Amino acid sequence: MGLSKTEETCLLLDEKLLQYMDQLELLQEKRATLNTLIEQGWFSLSKARYSMGNKQVSSLQYASEMEPQISVQARAVENDGLEFCTERITVQSPTERVQNTTAVEDIGPKEEGVRRRIKSSKDISGQEELVGASTEKPSLQTTEPPSVSLSNKCDQNPQADPLKWFGILVPQTLKQAQSSFRQVIELSAEIATLQAAVLKTRKELNLGLKLENKVGQVH
Amino acid sequence: MAGRGKLIAVIGDEDTCTGFLLGGIGELNKNRKPNFLVVEKDTSITEIEETFKSFLVRNDIGIILINQFIAEMIRHAIDAHMESIPAVLEIPSKEHPYDASKDSILRRAKGMFSAEDFR
Repeated sequence: MGLSKTEETCLLLDEKLLQYMDQLELLQEKRATLNTLIEQGWFSLSKARYSMGNKQVSSLQYASEMEPQISVQARAVENDGLEFCTERITVQSPTERVQNTTAVEDIGPKEEGVRRRIKSSKDISGQEELVGASTEKPSLQTTEPPSVSLSNKCDQNPQADPLKWFGILVPQTLKQAQSSFRQVIELSAEIATLQAAVLKTRKELNLGLKLENKVGQVH
Repeated sequence: MAGRGKLIAVIGDEDTCTGFLLGGIGELNKNRKPNFLVVEKDTSITEIEETFKSFLVRNDIGIILINQFIAEMIRHAIDAHMESIPAVLEIPSKEHPYDASKDSILRRAKGMFSAEDFR
């Protein structure tokens, strides 16, 4: 026993409507998670501000040079759908950065080791007897800096991690805020995908309803 | 930028922008144009609208995140945007919790079930 055209259209519409409802429910769930995570992020930011000082976590600390660490890929999927997915932009490893920096001519003072205060003539005359025995000490001043200093210099790149904009030793709460907002960014890509799917299903449902109305009028 | 995917832009209050920039979405391009706008008390609606429209025409932006209370100020511009890229997401702010009944996408979805649709 075959189904009539009207019944077929109605079944298709029912299916689409259920799919639409499911998508809306999922969207609502994801929205709730996003709201919780973003609240967590603000709370951590406020705690960091409390421990660091009121003006230490604000737009004044933004770096003058910024490079994104996360990008979004928008892909077309089957049935004219759209999918957003986040991906982390890989930053060069410290060793690669060291190689790059060695190629560039370094301008400025070369000495990176521990510096010693130049003593005045009075001090020198007073301590001459003590120092006089050792002739190695001046040579210490000219010793080559350890190779680690170069990589340390590279790590000071302000673009590397936005956490560094707010200081070298930032509180744990600021790191927690960063982690919360990273999750929010990932979730927002999922929500954007879902929103696109909701709008697409809505369009299909509208078309189906119009078709069903036409068929109904003919009969 | 084309080979690396698209950016996420933010229009929001200071804490929202700080949080998302901390997450790693911030970019200043060659013309030193940022992909974010910190809305303060003295930021005009015209400035917000212009920034939003400039984000819409930039082809390196995939998602625009905007605080819902700011979205309310430029609702006509958001409702007029029908394209799927960039996707516009309304997010809550510290002082204004998220209200689903104001969200442009959900309002469109709700409009689906008006009495006219069932005639």
